Amino acid sequence: MKIVLPGDKISDGPVRMENTIVENGKTYATVIGMLDESKGAFVPLESVWYPRQGDFVIGIVENSKNNVQTVQFDSPFRGLILPPPRPRFGGRGRDDRFGGGPREERQEVLHIGDVVSAFVKDVKRESDQIILILERPKRLFGGKLVEVRPSKVPRIIGKASTMLKQLEDGTKCTILVGLNGIIWVNGGNVALAQKAITKIQEEAHIGGLTERISELLTSGSINRGS
Amino acid sequence: MGGGKNKPELIVGGKRTDGRAMDELRPIKIQVGILKNAEGSAYLEWGNNKVLAAVYGPKEAQPKHIANPDRAIIKCRYQMAPFSSLEEHSRSGPNRRAIEISKVTKEVFENVIMLDNFPGSEIDIFVEVLQSDGGTRAAGITAAAVAVASSGIPMRDIPYAVSAGKAGEEIILDLNKIEDNYSEADMPIAVAPRNNDILLLQMDGSLTSEQIRKATDMVIKAGETITKLQREALEARYS
Amino acid sequence: MIAENEEYILEMLGKGMREHERGHMQYRDIKIETNTIPHAEGSATVDIGNTKVLVGVKLAVGTPLPDKPDEGALVTGAELLPLANAEYETGPPSPEAIEFARVVDRGIRAAGVVDTDALFIEKDKVWTAFVDIYVLNYDGNLFDAGTLAATTALLSARMPKLEGDEVIREGNLGKLKTNGIVTSCTYAKVSKNVLLDPNGNEERIMSGRLTIANDEKVVRAMQKGLSGSFSFKELTELVDATFDKSKQLRDKMKQAIGD
Repeated sequence: MKIVLPGDKISDGPVRMENTIVENGKTYATVIGMLDESKGAFVPLESVWYPRQGDFVIGIVENSKNNVQTVQFDSPFRGLILPPPRPRFGGRGRDDRFGGGPREERQEVLHIGDVVSAFVKDVKRESDQIILILERPKRLFGGKLVEVRPSKVPRIIGKASTMLKQLEDGTKCTILVGLNGIIWVNGGNVALAQKAITKIQEEAHIGGLTERISELLTSGSINRGS
Repeated sequence: MGGGKNKPELIVGGKRTDGRAMDELRPIKIQVGILKNAEGSAYLEWGNNKVLAAVYGPKEAQPKHIANPDRAIIKCRYQMAPFSSLEEHSRSGPNRRAIEISKVTKEVFENVIMLDNFPGSEIDIFVEVLQSDGGTRAAGITAAAVAVASSGIPMRDIPYAVSAGKAGEEIILDLNKIEDNYSEADMPIAVAPRNNDILLLQMDGSLTSEQIRKATDMVIKAGETITKLQREALEARYS
Repeated sequence: MIAENEEYILEMLGKGMREHERGHMQYRDIKIETNTIPHAEGSATVDIGNTKVLVGVKLAVGTPLPDKPDEGALVTGAELLPLANAEYETGPPSPEAIEFARVVDRGIRAAGVVDTDALFIEKDKVWTAFVDIYVLNYDGNLFDAGTLAATTALLSARMPKLEGDEVIREGNLGKLKTNGIVTSCTYAKVSKNVLLDPNGNEERIMSGRLTIANDEKVVRAMQKGLSGSFSFKELTELVDATFDKSKQLRDKMKQAIGD
């Protein structure tokens, strides 16, 4: 493993890989990252979130007009929550807007300032920016938002969600991690959770992270204990 | 440039006013990530220059009508603090010099940042010169390059910048303030080192075509050192 | 005016051609006229193809700059007038206009076109030379047209007299004292091509721009603009080309001022 910087050559041949470019048949890194030459794997140490279909995201409702909500993610991408399609049969006409439709069609009423989680259904290039069509929006009540660098999200979740589970167990918090780098923490020891998340972000590249987080969570809950 | 009647001797006994050899850089120190709010930041000391650079974004372009539907736009602000020079207190806010430097600095980063990835968005680059001693635009670009590299905003290469010039008949590298004021020529250059592309080039004074060749050779050689220092600063953050 | 189709220009360049059958290193027709604004101490109008730039020079009595107490001052400004191009807007000077003025200023200053020592009057009293560049019609290459017009206007300017507190601007006057002559050559990078004297269509699609200002012996100022790059090899080749191409510019200028 070695640190690679933007402009460093990753391969003498053209390789299709995220966070790289091919110029004159050779492949170069475009972000700072760790290169495992034996496996040919390149993991970014820093990166900017670029949305993909299916991404779980957390944002704040910024506007609500004509039953369409726009959601802000602290990124150049704006999310749109469209009204659910009216059921063709068996609908109740006017009463739909009071949430009276069939259960799967029902959508929570969202207001400006509400925190929502959602999934990216579609990434659309509009005339002047990239728009994310969102689905399965859920209003998140209460809780604290913690922002991290999107490149650190995989470490906060951990392999097979082990780190996230460790965090939740150690703090008794419910933690939802948006791939856009916004994390929602609710219930339990929120301050401890925030401290641990920050530590993961700062020390993601240093070995033995799981042990250090485990220590922090144990000592943190003892201190608070009593 | 060449101004003033009481022109000091810039080279005495084969050495420059600060004891440097003709092709010697001033000491450069770079620290990465010292501003927590920014996506990327760097603090750079280059001789007596002290420069902070920070990058924000990509975020939605504001105001909306300046957005480019095909790529991100870059906004860049280079500014010298009113207390930055040994001379008098200067007016704050951008003067014509700062507006020009902001423009050419922006153009350096328009070349290396992969703007196509973020249509409709903007990336902000700020360079604040806290203390100045000649060569602040080169210092600013060198620092901003590290700040962008530390942000994860994708870029093709990490540019560096340095100036070369002429004192008497000697070609000199990395002019300090006195040299900048009284030299026969000053030529700041920014380079993307991977292909040795010139991204910024300015010059005024007097240089023959042969002297320009000699000066650019000096810049390329110094670039190896500056690039290495940028690399070490970035790597230090992850080790 | 409808902008030329970008692909058409690139296609032509692929065949080694430019609009109006110009060679890559060939200027458009250049016309220099002096004393077009007789009220100004010096003036010149320069046409490069359809680009038209007017420079007026005025001298005024003022105080010296704090760091240069015993010499006069030179102040250069540029206005991209809204009547010159549908895309120019009213308002404070844009970064483009500021860059333009400063590049012209650096060439004039470095070449010592204006003898600022001769503009010293007495302690705390000097002449300031104002060089105002007015872009009247835009069709590319403002930098070369601006430098040509500014230098020509300065070389042909008269020197006002001070009688008591009164500035005498007419009658039997000498000439503004000048010490040098400077011209510039500007090159555009359009895909892989390097084109001397880009017109408006070529500037719209150029990725980079390089201006080299020189006199007979040395390079006096350079400026690379825009995001595109030049190689070190291109730089040294273009410096040499500039020494060659600038001869015709200096000849035209000398002809215009009747030197």
